[in-house]
Amino acid sequence: MFFFTFLRRELRRRMRQSVFIALGLALGVGLVVTVMAVSSGMQAAQAAVLQGLYGIGTDLTVTKAPPAFDANSSNGGFRITMGPNGAEVCDNGKCSTGAQTVDNLNGLSYGPVGYATVAEIARLGHVQAVGGGLVLTDQQMTVPAAVAQGAALPTSTSFYVDGVDFLHSTLGPFSSGTVTSGRSFTRADATDATADVAVVDTDYAAAHSLHVGSTVTVAKTAFTIIGLLTQPQGSQPPDVYIPLARAQALATSQGKALTGDVNSIYVTAQSAADIPTVQQEIAKLLPSYTVTSSSSLADEVTGSLANISKLISSLGTWLAVLVLATAFAVAGLLTIAAVTRRVREFGTLKALGWRSRRVIAQVMGESAVIGVFGGLLGVGVGFLGSAIIDGVAPTLSATVVTATGQHLVSSTPGGSSVTDPTITRTVPIAMSAPVTVDAVLLAVLLAVIGALLAGSLGSWRIAQLRPADALARVA
Amino acid sequence: MYELVDVTKQYEKGRRTVAAVRGITLSVEAGEWLAVQGRTGHGKSTLLHLLGGLDRPTTGTVSFDGRDLSALSEKQLAQVRGDLFGYVFQTFNLVPTLSAAENVEAALIPLGMRSSERRRRVAAALESVGLADRARHVPSELSGGQQQRVAIARAIVKEPKVLLADEPTGNLDEETRDEIVALLERLWRDRALTLVVITHDSAVARRAQRVGVMRNGSLSVIRDTRRSEKAK
Repeated sequence: MFFFTFLRRELRRRMRQSVFIALGLALGVGLVVTVMAVSSGMQAAQAAVLQGLYGIGTDLTVTKAPPAFDANSSNGGFRITMGPNGAEVCDNGKCSTGAQTVDNLNGLSYGPVGYATVAEIARLGHVQAVGGGLVLTDQQMTVPAAVAQGAALPTSTSFYVDGVDFLHSTLGPFSSGTVTSGRSFTRADATDATADVAVVDTDYAAAHSLHVGSTVTVAKTAFTIIGLLTQPQGSQPPDVYIPLARAQALATSQGKALTGDVNSIYVTAQSAADIPTVQQEIAKLLPSYTVTSSSSLADEVTGSLANISKLISSLGTWLAVLVLATAFAVAGLLTIAAVTRRVREFGTLKALGWRSRRVIAQVMGESAVIGVFGGLLGVGVGFLGSAIIDGVAPTLSATVVTATGQHLVSSTPGGSSVTDPTITRTVPIAMSAPVTVDAVLLAVLLAVIGALLAGSLGSWRIAQLRPADALARVA
Repeated sequence: MYELVDVTKQYEKGRRTVAAVRGITLSVEAGEWLAVQGRTGHGKSTLLHLLGGLDRPTTGTVSFDGRDLSALSEKQLAQVRGDLFGYVFQTFNLVPTLSAAENVEAALIPLGMRSSERRRRVAAALESVGLADRARHVPSELSGGQQQRVAIARAIVKEPKVLLADEPTGNLDEETRDEIVALLERLWRDRALTLVVITHDSAVARRAQRVGVMRNGSLSVIRDTRRSEKAK
């Protein structure tokens, strides 16, 4: 066909320029593909971090704020008071003085919620699954008989404990992991109220020289480790998992037992499109509760993972847009220059009876081919960029800071002060930049659009062309 | 065939207005061979562009077979150029990337013919100019004379009524010039074309039926052998 013959010959004649334009477009779209790949990798890493906290399949978490802490109240709660005159430990009004070891399992990060609320949420529309659990902190401290004025307060050690309702639900942090040693919980572990068995996170076990068969002390109770659980890389998992019933029996919140209670409810919607609806329905049902989706939880993650994510979304995106715009501009200028050089040729074709639109179609066809070629090259550049990032990028870190709900009061002759200890978890994450199908399709589309924009500039030139003026040009 | 009435063409050059053609009134009969001589810059090519519908007059009318070309839309002008006019240029104006056959075929594209019909006509046109064996050669592989023959084949392949040639021998040596002029003359006779040739070469103009001279945009007829030829 004459159109394709002419097109092919012209591209071959201007091979160097065509390749130059295609390379420019390839660089621009390649950068877009790489930025999208890194962004996709960041999102996956953040999702992995959150999955360790809240488990696979959780779209929403429902929690309640803990009761406000009153530093001046002498009733309720778990209080440690230390000073030069002695130390006192009070648990819901029951106090003891002198040197002692404290091991308190508490759910002070969130307020207690009756298990019946889980069933209420399960009855809402568009809800596929609901599960409840206890997110607890085990705080251990050796309290001295007294703390001299100006002396440093003793520090506490703590670890996360998750009360797992494995009988009724597969949601929650436990579901993200894989038991890599020993065994998981069984029905017998749930129904036996005195079964003190635990599954421990593999990283925590390694750090504390624990293995299957060892014991771990939770709330002054020795739990036998029956299995080790490995969570996805980059996640923020609990350290110890115990059956929900044992957690409810041992833990307290503001001095009150947590029998029959949970403090985190995990919800899965029937589809991603239903998440906002379900979120609204739960908020309507439980107006004083906090309903959080995965996207808002991402804001809790800090560290270099979060910093790089922000850098990619701001600087990276703008850089890609700038390079792409430059590539489009250069392609446009080169196309106009090429059309200008062919003015005599186009004038002759018009003299032969070719209408402007036929000449324009020829130019646009050449541009489209350059665009497709540039897009495919750009995909290659994107894959190359992604491979380079996978190979040389540094390991990032993700940090999540969680309140323990504890309040440490120290009183001195000058007054008393309250500190709220937090737990900071930082995990390393290997950065990856997977190229997605969406990025590939977008790359080719952007390149073709850029080339066609350039072609349209040349086409405008052709449309303005008067044959007599064109023929008057000296070749 | 052509009726030009008081045709003027002016161009703006910066602040000046230049009249390339001034008040020309001219008739060209069907089947006539008109040669227009004159020095460079006196409006010869402008006159040819007006005859070929490549430009519009500033004032006056250019009628072809009763149709005022200056009143036609761009689409209509393109159709008239495609159907009725053939062009031959001094610098041949062949598309450098297309072969001789493809260059000739380019003139048939606007006519919407089937490819088989186009190929047949192209072969016949190249045969008539003696270049059937050069169909696959690109312009860079052809001599100047051969390139001009291809251009002539391109001009006649659509069987136009009018052949407009702007200095067709301007870039050729003497021997090749004579070959090309002889070819044009043969085609003019065999196909009953109306032929208008712009030339500064008296040897070329001498062979035409009527010769005009452009001077400062005005046309004067200095020789007219049409009546004596008819009488014969």
